[in-house]
Amino acid sequence: MASLVYTPVHDLPQIREHLRASFRRGKTDSVAYRKEQLLQLAYLFQDNIPRFQEALLADLRRPKIETNLFDLSIIINECMYAYKNIESWTKPEKVPFSIDWFAFSPKVYKEPKGTVLIITPFNFPLYCLAPLTGAIAAGCAAVVKPSELTPVTSALLTELFPKYLDNDLYRIVNGAVEETTKLLELQWDHILYTGGGRVGRLIAKAAATHLTPVTLELGGKSPAVVDANADFDMAAKRILWAKMINAGQVCVAPDYVLVPRHVQSKLVDAFKKHWFAFYGPDPHTSDSFSRICSESHWDRISGMLKNTQGNVILGGEMSKEDKYISPTVVTHVSFTDSLMKEQAQNPLEIFGPVLPIVSVPDIDSALEYINSHDHPLALYAFSNDANVCDYVRKRTLSGAFVANDLLFQGIVSAAPFGGVGGSGYGVHKGKFSFDTFTHQRPVLRSPKWIDLLMSIRYPPYTDKNLKKANQAAMPKIPYPRPGEGDSVNWMRWSVAVFTVLLVVANRTRVLDAIRA
Amino acid sequence: MAAFTPASPFTQAAAMSSELVYTPIDDIVSIRNHVRASFRAGKAKSVAFRKEQLLQLAYLIQDNTDRFQAALKNDLGRPVVESNLFDISAMITEALHSYKNVDAWVKPDKAPFDSTFFAFSPKVHKEPKGVALIISPFNYPLWCLTPITGAIAAGCAVVIKPSELTPATSQLLAELFPKYLDPDLYRVVNGAVAETTQLLALQWDHILYTGSGRVGRIVATAAARHLTPVTLELGGKSPVLIDANADFELTARRLLWGKMMNSGQTCTAPDYVLVTEPVQKRLVEALKAQWTKFYGGDPRTSGSFSRICAHSHWERIAGLLAETKGEVVLGGDTDRADKYIAPTVVQNVSFSDSLMSEELFGPILAIVPVPSMDAALEYVNNHDAPLALYVFSKDAKFRAHVRANTLSGMFVENDVVVQGGSSITPFGGVGPSGYGSHKGKYSFDTFVHHRSSFNSPKWIDSVEATRFPPYTGKVVTNANALVPSIPYPRPGAQKPPTKWGRWAFLSLAFALIAANRQRIVALVKGAGA
Repeated sequence: MASLVYTPVHDLPQIREHLRASFRRGKTDSVAYRKEQLLQLAYLFQDNIPRFQEALLADLRRPKIETNLFDLSIIINECMYAYKNIESWTKPEKVPFSIDWFAFSPKVYKEPKGTVLIITPFNFPLYCLAPLTGAIAAGCAAVVKPSELTPVTSALLTELFPKYLDNDLYRIVNGAVEETTKLLELQWDHILYTGGGRVGRLIAKAAATHLTPVTLELGGKSPAVVDANADFDMAAKRILWAKMINAGQVCVAPDYVLVPRHVQSKLVDAFKKHWFAFYGPDPHTSDSFSRICSESHWDRISGMLKNTQGNVILGGEMSKEDKYISPTVVTHVSFTDSLMKEQAQNPLEIFGPVLPIVSVPDIDSALEYINSHDHPLALYAFSNDANVCDYVRKRTLSGAFVANDLLFQGIVSAAPFGGVGGSGYGVHKGKFSFDTFTHQRPVLRSPKWIDLLMSIRYPPYTDKNLKKANQAAMPKIPYPRPGEGDSVNWMRWSVAVFTVLLVVANRTRVLDAIRA
Repeated sequence: MAAFTPASPFTQAAAMSSELVYTPIDDIVSIRNHVRASFRAGKAKSVAFRKEQLLQLAYLIQDNTDRFQAALKNDLGRPVVESNLFDISAMITEALHSYKNVDAWVKPDKAPFDSTFFAFSPKVHKEPKGVALIISPFNYPLWCLTPITGAIAAGCAVVIKPSELTPATSQLLAELFPKYLDPDLYRVVNGAVAETTQLLALQWDHILYTGSGRVGRIVATAAARHLTPVTLELGGKSPVLIDANADFELTARRLLWGKMMNSGQTCTAPDYVLVTEPVQKRLVEALKAQWTKFYGGDPRTSGSFSRICAHSHWERIAGLLAETKGEVVLGGDTDRADKYIAPTVVQNVSFSDSLMSEELFGPILAIVPVPSMDAALEYVNNHDAPLALYVFSKDAKFRAHVRANTLSGMFVENDVVVQGGSSITPFGGVGPSGYGSHKGKYSFDTFVHHRSSFNSPKWIDSVEATRFPPYTGKVVTNANALVPSIPYPRPGAQKPPTKWGRWAFLSLAFALIAANRQRIVALVKGAGA
């Protein structure tokens, strides 16, 4: 394993100062400059596809195709999406017309927040780096701290960054707890953290001392609800795929399945079929399945699996030396099982290739369980009946919702990606990343003649001013009080009816008058 | 500033029968639990219900305009015109703005069309975050409460904690809330440090705090424990830059107005002025004329000028004024008993003066002469990003230059403070002046979770079968498989040559058609016959 060189702790304040000074000199003011850097970032990855594949193979024994699909394509797509759209994003925004305010020509300017910090986890080192595209597009300077658990990939990023990007504005900092602690002592203009809730709390607390805004991309136990009316074959195939990518180390992976008791066996049969189709008889020798990132994570996951009271129907093999846990499906899991357990009311995310199936009497009891826990990062529903999918969506809250599939919310640049409640706050992807690193600064210009209309604002507050302030300048409520209903205006109606009657009765006279 | 300073004795409180009743600490948990249970029961789901509550909120204020005027007079010695303009009408306007627009706001956003993902019908649903806590300060008790309109429109349950430094107003809110709004979802909690500490120990789904940076840090730290998102509306020293080309009569009028309203206790008030020496002279003359127009001989008896909210605040401001090395050119009188500080203008203030040491938040305008406007920009940029930045000049280029070379929460040209009245622009700080924004749809967005949703059709698997294992065999073995290619040339590389081949082909096709036009026409006719 390549050894990752940690950035000396005493260099960290200097690095931040250097970036901040370059930012203040206005180096990122020009949109052309930002576009150049975005394109360079795209080329950084495209020129080095085989090296990144090898790095992730070394770090996570990750199949190359997964690296292409979930890391490389996404970061390149995000770079190009920002590159294509940055002109429209950075344009000052016109606000909706308002009769009271149009004279002030109100606009919202998009200002870079400043020097930002992005901390990424081990599981998708490039995907989780994608918010950097928003920071570059916004005109911020950025320090990126990749994970020490993927040493080869982090070392590669460290080597390539200065070759492709402006070293005065974009830097990689490597290290573990000590380095991260030092980084968090410094003042940043925004921090975006992807990882676990425990560290998320530390980040938010450290940011609070500097009044720094934070985006927390956390995880949580994301449920997959399978309805009795689902296409079980399709559901099992897609769930198994999404669960086992990167050996289950995916923040939006389906954590567990909730299925009505009477159809559980159908779903289980479909899982068996696809398990063999995906991995053959022995996933250990299959090149389509990753390993766990570290021994401590392996210990945690295998501990949960060893303690389960459920039936292991698929997989279940573990080998500490190559950090292997086979793609595992467990049935007859209860809500109190080790695979579903809670700690201080927070459910513990499995974050490994173990899929518990919990059977429930019906969909409503599934929703009841989900709603009595933290809001998950993702919620998946499978049914051929669109009404059932809508029913599940409307009665739950989650970071994102996908019907009849999984993970796609993480790929689409046009949709916001982010959690709610225990799964974090703030969003990224495409323009949402840009907005994260942008301060929306309203700009108003007050014409001189406004004082003719708004003279009552000035002292002395004479009786005349007071009268105006109590009457003309006080907004009227043009809607009837709730409960009183939309009272029909009988007077207006009777006048209208009366007029029509008069005209009809005298129509000949009226016609004559017109002719004359 | 506001929420955590102990309440001071109020001399006039008895006359208003406005003893502020603090919420018993033990009740605070059950209040939160109660509104949470109602929220979870889906009481705020219907948009019709939210609209009804928004309208009720507007009526709450309108039906009791005179009582709010009296309460604010009692709490802050506030002239009625100021209460009307900055508190009472602001709240009614915001409630009505939400009422009118909530139907459009709650509609799911369609994501921009994307050829790769349109089959998934991506949408963004606007989901209420849950139970929100809004902590507001003493200075504009109703204006600072206006984010509640966004929380109601979003479908959240809300607990508000008004300031204990405006006892009459806070008590009035506590009395009126249950009469107008659904108490299962919207509640007032009153109190000081102990009550606020208890509130912050609980889990909320969003906290919006308006006040000082010191308490802002406490709020954000408490929120971090529960992973709660926070909006911080803080303050800071908002500068005013005036160039030689300004309209001095207009500048003085608007500047003095924005500085002295509510006795300077305004988070977006102009804090200090940066001008060159010749401009300072002209500005002070104009301010003198305006000062007399506004307040006559004695601002104290003018009826157009407020008092400081508490003795502790009075002492802080009077202390800064006593220590200044600048030259007091207008006002300067102080009276502790009445919590009065005259509308004061101080010129020739240096950067190291007491008046430049912290946000003034009182009726003192410090004028700091600088050698040039570039020196002014340098000073502004070397300090914390302020909540607002104001520039006065007839020269559009100068104003744009100041905007482009500074960062602030908000930016206003040729006026001050007015941005707080607009429901269509975001109101909020940056850096130490806070983060997040409110007003109109920005308030709504603060209290909603943007939840993306997708629906994947079955046939997608025939297009995207490569995603499934096993990855060997059926999958393209090319290393670059499924990685998008970059359609733009590398920066610095020459642009690709014009596609002459395509042009040549097109020209040839045209030439062929032109040469054979009669045959073609004949063919078409023949076909027609």
